[in-house]
Amino acid sequence: MKKAFAVTLGILTAIGGFVDIGDLVANALVGARFGMSLAWVVVVGVVGICLFAEMSGRIAAVSGRPVFDLVRERLGPRAGVVNLGASFFVSLLTLAAEIGGASLALELATGVNYLLWVPGVAFVAWLVMWRVKFENMERVFGLLGLVLVVFAVALWALGPDWGELAGQLTSPPQAEGAPTYWYYAVALLGAAMTPYEVFFFSSGGVEEKWTREDLSVARANVFVGFPLGGLLSLAIAACAATVFLPVQAEVETLGQMMLPVGLGLGKIGLALVILGVFAATFGATLETALSCGYSISQYFGWQWGKLVRPVEAARFHTVLLVTVVLAAALILTTVDPIMVTEYSLVFSAAALPLTYLPVLMIANDPDYMGDHVNGRFTNALGTFYMVLLSVVAVAAIPLMLATKAGQ
Amino acid sequence: MRAREIHAGLHLLDRQVVRASSGRLVCKVDDLELTGDPPYVTAILAGPLALGPRIGGVPGRLMVAAAELLSPQERPEPWRIPMHLLTELGSAVEVGGDPEEPALETWTRQNIIARIPGSGTEEASREQPARHERSPAARLGAYLDKPVLDEDGTLVGNVADVRLRQDGPLLMEVQQAFTVAELIVVPHWHSRLFGYERGPGGRAPKLVSALIRGRFAAARLVAWDQVETSGPDGFRLNVPASRLAPLTDLYEPDPRRR
Repeated sequence: MKKAFAVTLGILTAIGGFVDIGDLVANALVGARFGMSLAWVVVVGVVGICLFAEMSGRIAAVSGRPVFDLVRERLGPRAGVVNLGASFFVSLLTLAAEIGGASLALELATGVNYLLWVPGVAFVAWLVMWRVKFENMERVFGLLGLVLVVFAVALWALGPDWGELAGQLTSPPQAEGAPTYWYYAVALLGAAMTPYEVFFFSSGGVEEKWTREDLSVARANVFVGFPLGGLLSLAIAACAATVFLPVQAEVETLGQMMLPVGLGLGKIGLALVILGVFAATFGATLETALSCGYSISQYFGWQWGKLVRPVEAARFHTVLLVTVVLAAALILTTVDPIMVTEYSLVFSAAALPLTYLPVLMIANDPDYMGDHVNGRFTNALGTFYMVLLSVVAVAAIPLMLATKAGQ
Repeated sequence: MRAREIHAGLHLLDRQVVRASSGRLVCKVDDLELTGDPPYVTAILAGPLALGPRIGGVPGRLMVAAAELLSPQERPEPWRIPMHLLTELGSAVEVGGDPEEPALETWTRQNIIARIPGSGTEEASREQPARHERSPAARLGAYLDKPVLDEDGTLVGNVADVRLRQDGPLLMEVQQAFTVAELIVVPHWHSRLFGYERGPGGRAPKLVSALIRGRFAAARLVAWDQVETSGPDGFRLNVPASRLAPLTDLYEPDPRRR
């Protein structure tokens, strides 16, 4: 019974924790411009994140080593430092976007300009990382993020022409050029597979002291929770496709992204979606900030984590403090948080192979894994994704330049 | 019983060092200190002064320069854990004893973290033991990527990894030292084998394995007694390249492939 509870709780947390500002923005933008014609990318991304999250979780449970330990150990100090720079930069941009997203949600709730909320959001996020236990932190914000299910309910209430939505799956709108289509495909893939998710997932496994016995729970979280989170992403896209695509309206603000829920469910829906967006972005603020601390500490071998008191992981907590301040400062320059999100997605797509290659290698290393090495199917799929991610990484930045970031 | 053999780059360098008693994280194996001839490993080196030279280039030099600038010592040396403290070599390197705390941890704790309420501090500020100055020793990281010339002076390749054998002198009467036994030489300037040089296990997934193994089809194994001289410019051998053993001889052929 207790185990069933743990599994359910883990799955619910995974669903709520899956959607962050990146998924929200990418899916709403794409839904409004391309209908459901890019839904297949969400599926590809979800399968990919399941695959590599499971591998990194398995490595963490069997060997006790989190992902950035593996990056440094297998790629060496030189390629490792390149990856560290890229991942830290991407996570910092994402962190800034999440702080911006949480502040925008507060603006929508209160009418007070989001810039006034930024310092408060950053401070509370830091306070939570400073004081709250890892498990409580992960659960509270994961479960609150579940409120985003209102997108699915709203879609049903909007009563779209399901046949037309299904028809969009295979036919992109003629008005958009091929480079723009592929640019948004890359952004969607970056949203679903952001590297910080595996940093956080595997480091969390080490913080919660997973052992081989916890493998089944970890797998249930990944294989049930993440796909359901992906369905939530698709519901966001479908809402935007239903409301905005027929009138050719572009989505530019977070408020517009939540509008379909208001249309479908009225004031209560709007209140719930604001709460859900706040919980999801605030939860992701914690995850991205911690990921910045995890990756730097794990590269240099410092004591990290929330299991020990802050004085015993002074360098780790200093990194957390500095990154939160930097990210808040970036948003306070009045740069558009939605734009920061878009850029972070594309850069994250470009950095993917450097993170996932060592995970794939170590998941096959019998020295680490004993008899828990990858099976044939996982390896076939893993190889396919390595090829795909390499192509995406090479194409990401040129596509961004060629389409002027999707305009 | 055959002495244990490990690959320095694969099994030691860049692994996490963990304190055996408490499981606390100590540092990374940033480099290894070598003594004697044939050289054997006397200590794990850590910190920016050990890591910087291995990163190399401008970032590496900046790292070393910054560490030297901030160090109170006249000739700062990397942080050092003697090899006899090593208790286990697995996915992490476990060490016994009570290694001193790195300066950056102390500084950030005293100046930032301990000043914030709720840090859990009950400051019994640990006195830092005075470090004794040492003469700079050879480092294993300096072997990697170095060119190897055979007796005629033709280039064989560059060092990709170093094989260590645990048959050296006794360290503090606790355990035998790891001696440099062989160099793995690959005909590319900068190359890592990512562990795929081991056999017969660990060769999945096939595509990754094939790509990497293709790169070391011409790799050679140089025994330490085939090395005539070693210096900052690389290694000079006392045998022709044709006498060197291919890397694949190292392992039994994979029984599944017969």
